[in-house]
Amino acid sequence: MMDNLTKFWASIAKEARIIGRDHQALFLFFVMPVLFVLILSLALRDAFGDRPGATFDVLMVSQDPGEVTQSIVEAFRSNSHILLTQSNTASEAEARQWLIDGRYRFVVLVPPEATAQAERRLGEIMAKVPPELRMEKPVELVVMADPALRSDFRKVLEGSLDLALHGVEMKLGREQLQQTMRATQGENYVPLPDMEKSRLFEPVRGETVTREGSGPTPTSVQQNAPAWTLLAMFFLTVPLSVSFIREREQGSLFRLQTMTVPAWVVLGGKAVPYFVINLIQMASILAVSVYVLPLLGGDRLELGNAPLALLLIGGSASLAAIGFGIAVAMYARTTEQATSFSSATVMIMAALGGILVPKAVMPPLMQEVAILSPLSWGLDGFLDVFVRGGGVQQVLPEALSLLAFSAVCHGVAIMRYRSQT
Amino acid sequence: MTTPCPYSSRHNGGATGAPAIELKQLTKVFPGSSTPVLNAIDLTVPAGTIFGILGPNGAGKTTIMSTLCGLLKPTSGSVHICGSNAQTERATIKQILGMVPQEPAIYPTLTARENLEYFGRMQGLSGEHLQKRILACLDVAEMAGEADKRVERLSGGYKRRLNMVIGLIHEPKILILDEPTVAIDPHSRSLIHHRLRELHAAGISILISTHQMDEAEQLCQEIAILDHGRVLVQGNVSDLLSMQASETVQLQIEGDPPADLTARLEHIPGLLEAHVAGQCLTVVTVRPDRVMIPLMQAMQDYGLAVRSLSFGTTSLEDVFLSHTDGKRASR
Repeated sequence: MMDNLTKFWASIAKEARIIGRDHQALFLFFVMPVLFVLILSLALRDAFGDRPGATFDVLMVSQDPGEVTQSIVEAFRSNSHILLTQSNTASEAEARQWLIDGRYRFVVLVPPEATAQAERRLGEIMAKVPPELRMEKPVELVVMADPALRSDFRKVLEGSLDLALHGVEMKLGREQLQQTMRATQGENYVPLPDMEKSRLFEPVRGETVTREGSGPTPTSVQQNAPAWTLLAMFFLTVPLSVSFIREREQGSLFRLQTMTVPAWVVLGGKAVPYFVINLIQMASILAVSVYVLPLLGGDRLELGNAPLALLLIGGSASLAAIGFGIAVAMYARTTEQATSFSSATVMIMAALGGILVPKAVMPPLMQEVAILSPLSWGLDGFLDVFVRGGGVQQVLPEALSLLAFSAVCHGVAIMRYRSQT
Repeated sequence: MTTPCPYSSRHNGGATGAPAIELKQLTKVFPGSSTPVLNAIDLTVPAGTIFGILGPNGAGKTTIMSTLCGLLKPTSGSVHICGSNAQTERATIKQILGMVPQEPAIYPTLTARENLEYFGRMQGLSGEHLQKRILACLDVAEMAGEADKRVERLSGGYKRRLNMVIGLIHEPKILILDEPTVAIDPHSRSLIHHRLRELHAAGISILISTHQMDEAEQLCQEIAILDHGRVLVQGNVSDLLSMQASETVQLQIEGDPPADLTARLEHIPGLLEAHVAGQCLTVVTVRPDRVMIPLMQAMQDYGLAVRSLSFGTTSLEDVFLSHTDGKRASR
């Protein structure tokens, strides 16, 4: 046994030397995934989570000094996601061009005298003028949106606008009612209570529910850091399987088979350095997401409070990836076969597992299918820690699934290796 | 100038009394094929010899070597290495054998020393003994000065030498070499030949597969000629040469001989066999003295000028050609 352990360590040292001398591979292993996470986390910063920094440039053109303009301004200003610019001189054509140029994502044009028109229409309504005889039509605002604006954000903006206009209707209606009451009740007039200070409902404030009470909601970096860590881990199956096949082609694997070297020494000696590379990849991606990303204007990655759980899920994902790579190497006959098969399979597993497209935006059926992908198990495990405040116990199901996948792959690979010797 | 071989085997090649290698009725049929690659081969490599396996491509040489190393399971028959069964005592025979594959089976981004160290450890060596063996192997390959260069930066000759000495790192009883000097510079080829003779003198049994007849003639005491999975002839090299030489007459002809020349010579009394390779006509006869006059007369009748004539001399290539129908040989 000691003899085999010595051989095992020698195999690890040999593989580490070979990898260490391949500078291009090292660049691909460590720099590329980090760059990927940085770029994607910054690019998709506003597509995830509830972050105050996610803003939409909104233009409001109005020459109406009245209640309509004030209410809309007030509503938009109270929303931290909206960066409002006001103009009282721009034309509709200019506003449309600015939208096309990308200066604004959303434009609201309030017609001149909108408040006065609304008041006149309200007067007719209060006077019970039949609709067909009313002189004033409802005030029509012109609203334009950037086609690249996500439909859910657009709905939010339109909803905010509608809410503001409802507020105007309520306020003008109340004022009109008070005037009528004052005129009819004379000295007995009692002002209506201030409804703004006596609301019937508490303002709606959603609570984010996590395992340990309230916590942060997932942000771009919380999705991207684990997602690209997992993708980088699984993409290591390509160089791993190629390295095996190259050894076979060079004849060094044949030479080892003529010696008393057990299969686990050959396969394990190859796997351990790649396992260490995976862990370094994970540590570097997480470190960059915590310390570098905020400096570039991105969100800081909240790691949660369970480093052991992170290590467990990361280590399990790495073993799953390595097992898959070794199994591919044992069955592929050429490096071309190994490269194309493993990269295509990893991309499919990534697409399926919520790496390329977050599972949250997938339709329900696809979300159920996603469970087939080992990358999905890994991602769920990371999100358990980052977002839902989970610990070792919470990531255990995902970690065990990954370890079982790894065991099956390694078992298949060892059987194949033994059948060749 | 070649330095003395620093290799000294811990084994005595013939100490056990058993042949180094013994194949009995060895047959190998690959799955899905009906033709056997090895067909009931009986072969004995005496301990302490340099034994050559000659044969054209596809003859079954590599299959024999893979079976010897335990990498292929025979369909039937048995393989014994120094008395140990290759199938049931694989761990023992792996220690006895040193395998040198045809293509350099080494890690190109490691140095020569690192390759030796790694394969040495895989053979179970360690510590001071391993370091001594590395130095000894570097000396055998005459590449002490190249020890710390990455293999990818070494010449083809150095790679071949390193490939050979890795097979020696654990001091095997038997060294198996598959085409060790293909595409190699003359200096490295000469060194490898020299070292193989020294290893033989140190008691190592050597089995070498080669296409190169002059190599087999220079190195081997015994050979087996293999074709279509059968051993066509096996024996001592000098015996085979003298047997062939006593019965042959060779004529170097000017110009190209006609295609039907051998057929036209069939009427000559006492002529057993005739075959043409290039401009060389080889005639086999039990009475060369009686064949000569009608043979020369026939050459004249067919308008062929004889440039030179040799009587009673032959090479291993002639032996090879006469047993393999003159096909697929190279010199």
